Amino acid sequence: MKKLELLLLFVLLSLFSFGQDVGLLDGKALFGDMEARHIGPALMSGRVSDIEGHPKDPSVIYIGTAGGGVWKSMDGGLFFNPVFDKHCQSIGCVSVDPNRPDEVIWVGTGEVWTRNSTSVGDGIYKSTDGGQTWKNMGLKKSDRISSIQIHPENSDVVFVGVQGALWGPSEERGVYKTTDGGQTWEKILGVDENTGCSELIMDKNNPNVMYAAFWEHRRTAWSFNSGGEKSALYKTTNGGKTWKKIHSGFPKGKLGRIAIAIAPSNSNILYAVVESEDKKKSGMYRSDDAGKTWNHLNADFNLTVRPFYFSRIVVHPKNPDIVAKAGLFGVLSRDGGKSFRQMGQMHADIHDYWFDVADTNKIFVATDGGLYYSFNLGNTLEMVNNLPISQFYHVSVDHQEPYNVYGGLQDNGSWYGPSSSPGGIEARDWETIGFGDGFRVYPHPKNPKITYSEMQGAEMVWKYDSEARQSKNIRPLRGKDDPKLRFNWNAAITTSVHHPDRVYMGSQFLHISNDMGNTWKKISPDLTTNDPEKLNQENSGGLSKDNSGAENHCTIFTIAESPLDERVIWVGTDDGNVQITKDGGKTWTNVVKNIPDLPKNTWCYHIEASHFDKGTAYAVFDGHTKNDKTTYCYKTTDFGKTWKSIVTADVYGFARSFQEDNVNPNLLFLGTEFGLYISLNGGKKWVKFENNMPAVAIHYLDLQKETGDLVMATHGRGVIILDDISPLRKLTPEVLQSDKLVFLGKKTFVMPEETSFGGTSTPTQFVGDNPPRSAKIVYYLPKRHIFGKMKVKVYDEEGNFMTLLEGGKKKGLNFVYWSFHKMMPKIASGATFARGGFVAPSVPAGMYTVRIEKGKDVFETKIETKYPEKSVFTLEERAKQQEIAGKLYKMVEDFAYLVYRLDTYVSHAKMTANKHPEYKEPIEKMIKELEAFKKEIVKQGDNYVGGGEDKLREKMAEIYGEVTGYLGAPTQNQMDNIALIEKEFEEVKKKLKEIEQGEFKKYLDLLKRLNIPYPKLKTYEEFVDKTK
Amino acid sequence: MKKVTFILSLALVPLFSTAQTAEDIIAKCVEVTGGEENWNKLEGQKMKAKMTTNGMEIGMEMLQMKDGRTATVIRFQGMELKQNVYDGETLWNTNFMNMKPEKADSETFENFKRTLGEYPSPLITYKKMGYEVKLEGDENVDGVEAYKVKMIKKPLLVDGKEEKNITYYFFDKETGVLIMTAQEISSGKMKGKMAKTFFSDYDEVDGLYFPFSMKMGADDAGYQEITIESYELNPQVEDSFFAYPGDDKDEEEKVKEEEPKKKKKKSRK
Repeated sequence: MKKLELLLLFVLLSLFSFGQDVGLLDGKALFGDMEARHIGPALMSGRVSDIEGHPKDPSVIYIGTAGGGVWKSMDGGLFFNPVFDKHCQSIGCVSVDPNRPDEVIWVGTGEVWTRNSTSVGDGIYKSTDGGQTWKNMGLKKSDRISSIQIHPENSDVVFVGVQGALWGPSEERGVYKTTDGGQTWEKILGVDENTGCSELIMDKNNPNVMYAAFWEHRRTAWSFNSGGEKSALYKTTNGGKTWKKIHSGFPKGKLGRIAIAIAPSNSNILYAVVESEDKKKSGMYRSDDAGKTWNHLNADFNLTVRPFYFSRIVVHPKNPDIVAKAGLFGVLSRDGGKSFRQMGQMHADIHDYWFDVADTNKIFVATDGGLYYSFNLGNTLEMVNNLPISQFYHVSVDHQEPYNVYGGLQDNGSWYGPSSSPGGIEARDWETIGFGDGFRVYPHPKNPKITYSEMQGAEMVWKYDSEARQSKNIRPLRGKDDPKLRFNWNAAITTSVHHPDRVYMGSQFLHISNDMGNTWKKISPDLTTNDPEKLNQENSGGLSKDNSGAENHCTIFTIAESPLDERVIWVGTDDGNVQITKDGGKTWTNVVKNIPDLPKNTWCYHIEASHFDKGTAYAVFDGHTKNDKTTYCYKTTDFGKTWKSIVTADVYGFARSFQEDNVNPNLLFLGTEFGLYISLNGGKKWVKFENNMPAVAIHYLDLQKETGDLVMATHGRGVIILDDISPLRKLTPEVLQSDKLVFLGKKTFVMPEETSFGGTSTPTQFVGDNPPRSAKIVYYLPKRHIFGKMKVKVYDEEGNFMTLLEGGKKKGLNFVYWSFHKMMPKIASGATFARGGFVAPSVPAGMYTVRIEKGKDVFETKIETKYPEKSVFTLEERAKQQEIAGKLYKMVEDFAYLVYRLDTYVSHAKMTANKHPEYKEPIEKMIKELEAFKKEIVKQGDNYVGGGEDKLREKMAEIYGEVTGYLGAPTQNQMDNIALIEKEFEEVKKKLKEIEQGEFKKYLDLLKRLNIPYPKLKTYEEFVDKTK
Repeated sequence: MKKVTFILSLALVPLFSTAQTAEDIIAKCVEVTGGEENWNKLEGQKMKAKMTTNGMEIGMEMLQMKDGRTATVIRFQGMELKQNVYDGETLWNTNFMNMKPEKADSETFENFKRTLGEYPSPLITYKKMGYEVKLEGDENVDGVEAYKVKMIKKPLLVDGKEEKNITYYFFDKETGVLIMTAQEISSGKMKGKMAKTFFSDYDEVDGLYFPFSMKMGADDAGYQEITIESYELNPQVEDSFFAYPGDDKDEEEKVKEEEPKKKKKKSRK
């Protein structure tokens, strides 16, 4: 095909492509190279809800997590990679098809360990390519799937246990069956709208036999109930056609959650853990006749503790008497369930076990603090260190360079760590600053050594001095005439932009301290509904009392002080009030009634006071604890008198978090239970951001103002950062309509100077990525570049070529990174690597032109590079360094050119000698002389320990590298060394000249006589040219 | 002008028709980039390429011959480091430390042998190779809609075990051209993740369209662009260029090794 024809093709195609506005674009066509950065951490990891391995291959293990999706290991558990990022991250169970275990994997979403903070599911998924891609196979309203049982001889026949909604009634609960691989589902067993299937197991030796545990339970935001008349254990012996209760030996009366397991080595032996009204009859049961009769064995603490959280029994694959039970601690029985010993040290709160299929002494344990493994059935254990599935409730940032992120996690305390660290963000970079469950952590706005953190229900609120290593409990205490203070499980704390020592805290009242928590003052009445029906937490739990503070209600949940006026403060409560004061707390107005289409008492999860106008605010409501998964996000511009929803049909999932950009008021971010949404036009259209961004629940969003980084507290994938949102600020409708490349990035870049020797992590430890240290050149491309050359080049102010860069070719935003270096010098050809030759010179501060050549079009933008304000180098030192490094750069290239001449002479001479054997002797004499000369100036040997002595090539490159790699002035010692090298080089040049005038001259004369063209040499300029 | 009309009609196809098979999509790509007949005439190609990163430039020469011979030569500081060289018998590399040739491990070699015959591209030879292709639907690649075609090749040997060998090809819907390939990483800590190569800067060389830019890597490990300066088609290359230079053993050792072979031969007689 000729070029003309191709051109015609493009012209024609362009007739069919139109300028696009944001309404037509999806995230991939818009966000291009902009990618989320995961910094973990993984050192405390997070809750693992289910473990499932390949039935034959011990190297393949899957884990389902509470909020971080599905992870797969293909090396027996050393490394795990996420395989479910595009879908709901709350996992109930994972099942591997025993018939096609390499290909077919099923995932049931919706965690079944129903703590207050658990998320929701959205159906059942299937992969037919070992987890590479997934398809939702229905049961979308199931909310929580407890079990998936695949027929061992027919992959199309699958049974599913649906536990169902936690926060309301649900018709979906029950046992479902498909006979067509998930295309259609039939409900084959149901009890009622309150009682769901919490476990379904199949006898693999006889797939007609199944056991289904049903559990009556319900959560509200202020209570939990486990148990009732309907909880029961059922059995079928005909593949689910009929089911029968099998309670012979079970306690009478109301039952709660029941766990059930079959011994794989003997189908008659069953174990069950039963929650019952009669505490003495709760705990471990065993049947030796496949469920006909049951014997109560044990009611130890770990067998009866918190059944809603720990109902899992796993039996050893070969020995029916070895049984592991989930619990506050891991416990194992070797006597058929009669007695249990506690496993070795690991994180508390155990949810599941997996016995290795090849070595049954090897066991994996799922905990609230990640995945553990043991080679001796749990005596001693080690943690998997690369699972950043930590569940942050909140995040905040400071103003240091690099800034730190602060946050608290489910059952894993409070932490802070850097957003960037030499060698990557490692486990050792994180500092712990709180016990228990961690929630909101704030740095003091001015004093970097002070942080505030808390544990559940504000049982402790710490002011921590990281320099003195002192923590002080500063929680507000009940004063004279005060009622009991009610704090949310995740109690509201915030600091002030107006007064650095100010701290706000919300119970049912708003408390303020202006001295870092030493003294507190109430500045509001009870701002909640104070509904007595929602204040009976001591009776919460159902059959097993559970008053942990998790159900504390009628509390303040969010506090927002206007950044423009300290007297304007917004408060949102968990029972659905939105209160505002405009006079610093003297008077309060509940404005929730002004919000249209918001169901009463919907949890106000976040209020964002605008950066641009003090009457403007955004409020996010989360109705999921009332079984309402609608997205609610509203905006007011008149202090709450009127509100308008800014949610569109683009958004999926209920929202908890929101961030307004502080530069472009139309740039908004919304964090939902299924990921991040971005609006470029004030909420008229939302686009899902999916570039390296899993569909994870985002509990809090914060914006680091100096860097423009959006920092996300995800509840299952740690802290995720969207670096530098400034390109989004510039994505105007005009840019999106453009049919040409448009530059959008920052114009000024500070060149980082710190160096390091790298990190210290072991290979299996997770290391969070650092942000790029380079200049980021940003442009928007209206079409993907496919045909014709595209090059990105950088020139200095005088038009000198600096470097070639990798060009971005995507439709949408493209990022091209420049590390502030010009090209390395040409190094003389040699037999070994000249180490110094790997150093590229840093450019000086100044103006540079970025030139993009795209086909025949040329696009240019100017950028400025600056030295850091806080630098150890003076301008004089820099000037000296640049002068000497420049001189050495030239010297290295001069030397390379000299060697190039030598090499060219030699190869030419060899050719001539071949063609004219009659002159072989004199030519070879000259070749020998030239080669001997080269050996004098270029090192021989290899790149490891077999090398010879360094020669001028290596010595020159070495001093070039030393001087170039350090941005301060060279040392006197180095200057002396340079003088020596220069002298040596002069002698070498002299010697080459002598050769050129001696033996080589004779050779040229010979060529003339023979009428052979002289060796063709590149000019020096051609030789050092790097632009092509 | 006939050809122009043909190309234009090809370009219009996706705009008006939706029924496509994997074979159609591959055929269109092959046609748009020069036609099957022309591709099949190719006897080999030599690519001069370079990688530029943080001011460092690494020159490369990549040779691929129809008979399977292949070589990548990395040129750096005047050294020539041959990698992934196949001379028809041996697959070998240069060790970067001692600069000596070393044979590839047997599993790598076996997997390499299983790709012999794919030249000039599996998109041309998949039928001959017995590879199965399947349209997997659409996917957005680099902001544009692309057809995703799955190609099941000969199984790979991974740690002694046969594993499925699947490459996904992504074709720009608008132009029909290949813009990305993806293949599961078969070992190491990234095992199971996708290694991707993005193609762009297509230009014509003797009637065939080649990508002059390839960006390779994986989402978690970053990408490196290789820019191709030139393609030389049907290059003349001496056999010695590919030839395995032999083990670096002293003569005495070689003699010792040869002795039993000679004896064996004799005994067979």
